[in-house]
Amino acid sequence: MEIIIKILDNYYYFVAMVLFVIGLHTMLTHSNMIKKVMGMNIMETGIFLFFVSIGYVRGGRAPIIAEEGGLLYINPLPSALILTGIVVAVSVTAYALSLIVKLYATYGTCDADEIAMLRTREDQ
Amino acid sequence: MYLHLPVLMVVLLFGVSFVVSLLGKKRRNLAFQLTLLVLGIVFIISIYLLQHVGKEGPFSYHVGGWPPPWGVELYVDYLSAYVLMVLTSISFVVLIYGVEDLRHELKSDVLHWYCSLYLLLLGAMCGIALTNDLFNLYVFIEISTIAACGIISIKDDRKCIEASLKYLILSVMGSGCFLLAVAMLYMITGNLNFTYVAQELPHVLPLYPYNIVIALSLIIVSLGVKSALFPLHVWLPDAHSSAPSPSSAVLSGLVIKIYAVALVKLLFQVFPPQIFEVIPVLDIVLFLSVLAILAGSIIAMVQDDIKKMLAYSSIAQIGFVFMGIGLFEGRALAGGLLHIFNHAMMKAMLFLAAGLIIYASGIRKIRDLKGIGMRMPLTMLAFTVGAFSMVGIPGTNGFISKWHLALGALDLERPFFVAVILLSSLLNGIYYFPIVIDAFFGTQIMPQSEHKDVPALMLVPVMVLAVGIIFFGFYPAPVLSFIERAIGL
Repeated sequence: MEIIIKILDNYYYFVAMVLFVIGLHTMLTHSNMIKKVMGMNIMETGIFLFFVSIGYVRGGRAPIIAEEGGLLYINPLPSALILTGIVVAVSVTAYALSLIVKLYATYGTCDADEIAMLRTREDQ
Repeated sequence: MYLHLPVLMVVLLFGVSFVVSLLGKKRRNLAFQLTLLVLGIVFIISIYLLQHVGKEGPFSYHVGGWPPPWGVELYVDYLSAYVLMVLTSISFVVLIYGVEDLRHELKSDVLHWYCSLYLLLLGAMCGIALTNDLFNLYVFIEISTIAACGIISIKDDRKCIEASLKYLILSVMGSGCFLLAVAMLYMITGNLNFTYVAQELPHVLPLYPYNIVIALSLIIVSLGVKSALFPLHVWLPDAHSSAPSPSSAVLSGLVIKIYAVALVKLLFQVFPPQIFEVIPVLDIVLFLSVLAILAGSIIAMVQDDIKKMLAYSSIAQIGFVFMGIGLFEGRALAGGLLHIFNHAMMKAMLFLAAGLIIYASGIRKIRDLKGIGMRMPLTMLAFTVGAFSMVGIPGTNGFISKWHLALGALDLERPFFVAVILLSSLLNGIYYFPIVIDAFFGTQIMPQSEHKDVPALMLVPVMVLAVGIIFFGFYPAPVLSFIERAIGL
């Protein structure tokens, strides 16, 4: 019972971990390469959500320094770091997709298993 | 003045990488000259830093003038100065070889992009060696991952593209795990700087043991994937064997090691020693390294492609580095760290020699190599030196690092690992010596196919590395004393 209350209190961490595991599972088990890239993005989104939610302060405002002072702000550092993380994720996705386009042009399929089959057939 | 040198190295490499990519395909000679010039400058800087650190001790640099808890800190200690020297020297020699070789292996309109990626990769690796900040480390790891995949897939054939996609997917999984580990550590310590995190961790360990254990496990997995620790090595053989020869040399020689260095830095500088009582990470690493050494050698035996065999041999050799990390103290760790330099030299040399054979005769299959020693005596002589070093014959540098690993294992009273090292030498002998023997004494079955002469510019780097192997086999003292200072021996 106690653990359920703890999870409900920190549900954003829980959701982030669920996303991470879904992404990781998709990435490692699906043979379709586009799905692998999608899994990669889901996994990274989970991590970003986790990282950003670390900086959240309950009842805090956006960290823009106001005149009056004495207000509660959220921690802006994780958000700033994750901007970098998102840029990295976008570039990796673009690169992976461009490789998949090249493979599709040669083999006519996006499925890693089928490509492996085509290759063994050629070797024989 | 010297204070700015570490950041200058990284900025110079990244900046010139950008400039080179703009040069265009008409001016590819200029691109190569500029790249070699920068690599030369960076090599000189690293030698200067090595001397300076040796004389006056470690120093740190605050990027942008922001002091540590807020800004990014670069820290030049004995370990990073040593690693910088390894990175810059080997990559300089390999690119001299690449000037001639890449013209034949790549299409002419991508050569300047290759230079650009190469500089980017080297800059990121220097950054990994220098940085003292967790998030900065993550960014450099990502840059080096993409650049490393880039120098494989730039050779536009489908084997390379398949291999680099596999490498990319697994590496991105590794980087994701690393970022999650950074998040776990940041959430309990509130810092990203290694020094400050290390100060906090012993205090928060009793409060949040799970966070630290998960972070450590994720770091081991992520850096293990990237440095091809045994069960996570599946991407390596394809990637390293299909890439152009200079890329193979750099990937096998430097890229997989730099992540092991990052692991050493994290284990030494960030995690408190008490954590090893909570979770037996070092024993797990030791177990995997033994598996890597044995399995890598055994699988290498059954390969028929020479570059694939060298790639599997890399899996075995990275096991020695991890064995040093797993034993974690004294001469064993020194041996493991020394093996980074020694293996970088010998594996780069072997890949370049294999590249020379492929360049000159087009032969990739091991069984076709019979009698090649008569046609290419110097190349095969260098290959023989490399093979001896892999096996660990005294007088080569491979012997020195294995000797120190074995002595260290005996110091710690774990003779089992000495047996593993001896067994692996035997296994290495089984697959390296037949190649050498057949090359010089075997009779040629293949008809005298077309045989190109090897340009001197390609042969010289191979010979330089071969001489280096013997030189550091007889005279390892300067490097070794530096490593011993790095680990506080």
